[in-house]
Amino acid sequence: MKVQGEHLFKGTPQQVWDLFRDTEVMSAALPGTKKMELIGENIYEAVMNVRVGPVAGEFSGQLVISNENYPHSYTMTVEGRGKPGFMKGVGDVILKDQGGNQTSMEYVGEVQIGGKLAAVGQRLIDTVAKSIINQAFEILDNALTERVSADAEGREADYRKSSERDYAATVAKDLIKNVLKRTGSEDS
Amino acid sequence: MKHKIIGKRVKRVEDPRLLTGGALFVDDVNLPNMLHAAFLRSDYAHARIKNIDTSQAKTIPGVVGVYTAEDMGDAWEPGPPLVSPPPTLENVIFNSRRQVPLVKDKVKHAGEIIAVVVAENRYIAEDAVEEISLEYEPLPAVVDLEKCLEPDSPLVHEDLDSNLAAHLIQQKGDYQKALATADLVIKKRFHLDRGAAAAMENRGLVVDWNEKDQHLMVWDATQSPIPIRNGMASRLGLRTHQVRVVAPFVGGGFGPKIMMFYAEEMVLPWLTRQLKRPVKWIEDRRENFYATTQEREQIHEVEMALSREGRILGIKQKIIHDTGAYDPYGLTTPLNTQSHSMGAYDVENYYSELTVVFTNKTIVTPVRGAGRPQGIFIVERMLDFAARELDLDPREIRRLNFIPPEAFPYNHEIIDQAFTDLVFDSGNYLPAYNKALEKIGYDKFIQEEQPRLRAEGKHVGIGVVPFIETTGVGPYEGARVAIEPSGKISAATGVGTQGQSHMTSFAQIIAEVLGVEVEDVSMVTGDTAEIHWGTGTFASRGAVVAGNAVNAAALDVRQKVLALASKVLKTPEDELELEGGQVRAADIPEQSISLGELAILANPFRGAVEPGTEPGLESTKYFGPAYGATAFGVHGMILEVDPETMMIKIHKYVTVEDCGTMLNPLVVEGQIHGGVSMGLGNCYYEKLHFDESGQLLNASLADYLIPSASEMPHIEVIHENTPAPNNALGTKGVGEAGAIPVPAAFMQALENALPEYNLEITETPLSPNRLYELLQKKERNK
Amino acid sequence: MENQFDLSLTVNGVSYQREVDPRRLLSDFLRHDLGLTGTHVGCEHGVCGACTVLLDGAPVRSCLIFAPQAHEHEITTVEGLGTIDDMHPLQEAFREAHALQCGFCTPGFLTTLLPWLEEHPQPSEEEIREAISGNLCRCTGYQHIIDAVKLAAEKMAAG
Repeated sequence: MKVQGEHLFKGTPQQVWDLFRDTEVMSAALPGTKKMELIGENIYEAVMNVRVGPVAGEFSGQLVISNENYPHSYTMTVEGRGKPGFMKGVGDVILKDQGGNQTSMEYVGEVQIGGKLAAVGQRLIDTVAKSIINQAFEILDNALTERVSADAEGREADYRKSSERDYAATVAKDLIKNVLKRTGSEDS
Repeated sequence: MKHKIIGKRVKRVEDPRLLTGGALFVDDVNLPNMLHAAFLRSDYAHARIKNIDTSQAKTIPGVVGVYTAEDMGDAWEPGPPLVSPPPTLENVIFNSRRQVPLVKDKVKHAGEIIAVVVAENRYIAEDAVEEISLEYEPLPAVVDLEKCLEPDSPLVHEDLDSNLAAHLIQQKGDYQKALATADLVIKKRFHLDRGAAAAMENRGLVVDWNEKDQHLMVWDATQSPIPIRNGMASRLGLRTHQVRVVAPFVGGGFGPKIMMFYAEEMVLPWLTRQLKRPVKWIEDRRENFYATTQEREQIHEVEMALSREGRILGIKQKIIHDTGAYDPYGLTTPLNTQSHSMGAYDVENYYSELTVVFTNKTIVTPVRGAGRPQGIFIVERMLDFAARELDLDPREIRRLNFIPPEAFPYNHEIIDQAFTDLVFDSGNYLPAYNKALEKIGYDKFIQEEQPRLRAEGKHVGIGVVPFIETTGVGPYEGARVAIEPSGKISAATGVGTQGQSHMTSFAQIIAEVLGVEVEDVSMVTGDTAEIHWGTGTFASRGAVVAGNAVNAAALDVRQKVLALASKVLKTPEDELELEGGQVRAADIPEQSISLGELAILANPFRGAVEPGTEPGLESTKYFGPAYGATAFGVHGMILEVDPETMMIKIHKYVTVEDCGTMLNPLVVEGQIHGGVSMGLGNCYYEKLHFDESGQLLNASLADYLIPSASEMPHIEVIHENTPAPNNALGTKGVGEAGAIPVPAAFMQALENALPEYNLEITETPLSPNRLYELLQKKERNK
Repeated sequence: MENQFDLSLTVNGVSYQREVDPRRLLSDFLRHDLGLTGTHVGCEHGVCGACTVLLDGAPVRSCLIFAPQAHEHEITTVEGLGTIDDMHPLQEAFREAHALQCGFCTPGFLTTLLPWLEEHPQPSEEEIREAISGNLCRCTGYQHIIDAVKLAAEKMAAG
């Protein structure tokens, strides 16, 4: 499965770069994250609850950052396994300064999934992945704003953690949107 | 015989039990003290196992044991080779690699078994499976049929130099010579993809080792209980009489429930002997998609040489056949493809090179049709393309090439799946073909209906395709028929029953021969305690091979009845008749004796028995044909396609079937209806999607679509009868026929419905998505 | 065992009281706890329809329902339709029309059709196809099942 997209952040490339290195922010942004910690240079270990349609369970795995070119680009390798199956992904992330305190993030990667997740969740996985990404960006946007203003005000940033319930609601919304799009009954 | 029952539409004797919930299926077997097994299966298609940790799983309350390959010790050995390579051909490469009970070091397809949990119930067993932790080293998967032969391809079996499983060449005549004289040569490439058998009942096993009487009792949802009994006994070091295998009512077979020696059939008997308790395992649907064998993926490069008039001068073909991770079933399927690649036609020159490859996918063994649909697809599609090139009517080119009735027996000079000469025993193709054209209303459709509907903007098309099916192959089957003192008949045969109505159609044979009612015959199929020798239900052979064994045994019993009755009634044998359970003198009906009384007389308590006689009115006979019986048929359909939505509706479906003598036409029609539904699945609905890493992406019935009543058309079945000359009943098989020509007929109709696109469909199955892609490609090229 | 559910329900007119594991599926409960093995399980995900039973007269997939959800409800399984000596007209029609081959999916068709036929005493072929489109059969291609439904409607109308 190919994962590709672009997002515009309100912050400098350096701020965005740092945001993505903050395990607290990242675990707040990714739904179902039970644990995320740095275990070595650029190696993170994470435990996540994943639910794709009828398939649910805990995934544990590693995220490795390589090819770092601060604050412009890096490569992300994710590998995880759990009861619902496994996933493996490699992606490149490019940050571009758009001026006016704005940074665009372009990402492109290839994700491979297997096990129950692939066999039974295949129809839903595309939408679920997009939902996770969209929701994560929404939270990251807020986190970045909070971080920037907290920095300016010299206080601790306070992040809202997304609940699995929020995430489930988003996925459901996106799925319905997709179905409507397919049947052509959506106005837009 | 006066009393005509063969060929009658007799209601089935097995139905009342099935209809009221009273029939025994494997999962209905519940024994005291029974344990339940669940398997840990690989998520990866290709991976090395680094470590297995079962300690956590073992701590779960209710878990009795968790076992890996290591625990099996010396009992660990691969499954037996089921079908060896053809001994009659020279220069055959065949690398036999058989499935294993539990994976030791390297996983070769997703779903392969790594460990087994035995627990007090299935729920606990499944919980414990999730607690086994595994370390894998994922390896690149071998998926593509052509790339897998490239020198840098990863290897499924690392002890081999390549992924080549088998290679052989079969030829007849001289294709090169034919090529030299040809007016037209057509070359095409075909890709046929995988489908599932998807019987409604998944596989299942209950095994019970009784330590005290040293017997293993097995209930197995199998098509072949006798080979399973033999194999289990041999693997466990037991005598065959110590093992009884019962295939009770089986919820559909369609090929994969053959004597595979699936991993579960190797592991469970070992477990019950270890634990001395009964163990049950019932496959779930997801396991069925991974672990039960599949079929049909092949790539063909085909060349057909023709004369200007449309006569086929020769066919040249290169086949790559996917056997999946192992090849326990030898070359049966691709040999069938070769046997059917000349269709119903008189082809003098044939050259076929077969390459079989290993891939990291589920094992391939026959599925209803077993390589035949691929052969028919190739030859019929090629004829359609040739007719177009030569500007011939597709009907004319077929009529021109049919094997004429006087040419039978027709020897194709190659070998078939049974390793015997591919000889078509009999046939009369042209009248059946013409009848199908008449019944579908070909002329009227082309001349009137299609132009009218096209003018209304509708895309309707017609497809009519003839086919042959080699059926009823050896080696043999047996049957035992006995008259009980009650006058009722007990009979048994070794083939299993998965819905083919054996208990009725075989009873019809016996009832007719012995002059009793069908209800008086109790037919046991699939119990090794009832008959010792046999092979199984496959290759459309039940009615031919087992049917003729039943007939032979019944005739022998009839002879014993006549001999004894002649003495008792003091009437010559040829003046006696069997009617209503009585033997009587034809002219003097009151001079009679019942079969039951004769059975008692044939088993005397006291007194001297004449030397050389056997007690009882019983006989066991075997039937083994020198070569099979070749059935013929024609399928025609009129379909409509909506080029906006790609939805297809079949308006009319006609089949003409010539399966020789029919034992029960109701049953024959039912077989054909079911075959067509699987065939239509193979056209447009059913495709197993494996991704590049060998993951099956649609392993549920929600994603893998088997036709429902909404997709199925009404099917009209017309019977022709060219009796098989080499068996007493004159039967030919029909179990697989329905599925064989459907994709070829469907694609012909689809092309006919969309003439503006000038499609040349060389693949199956399509899907709405795939058809959309094909039409888009044509649009772009316009 | 802890956390057991005290289940009471009626199946084919007989009252049962059993302690069950809360996660026990209704299909497993009927088949393995009550021994009513006529209900078959073909896919465990509610697609094939083989496990269909009637819950208070309406068809439900017993593989998608936990046994406790049937608490204080009335269940009808294929065993409740008729006996070998006294089959329901629908069962007789299935036999006469050769509407079953392996017979594995048949109980689900019967339980789906029973209430439907009462509401559709004179069904058309198209209506029948739609009514059974949620039940999968791999043997018959459905044609003889459709014949059987028409025949059953006639038999039931005739009383």
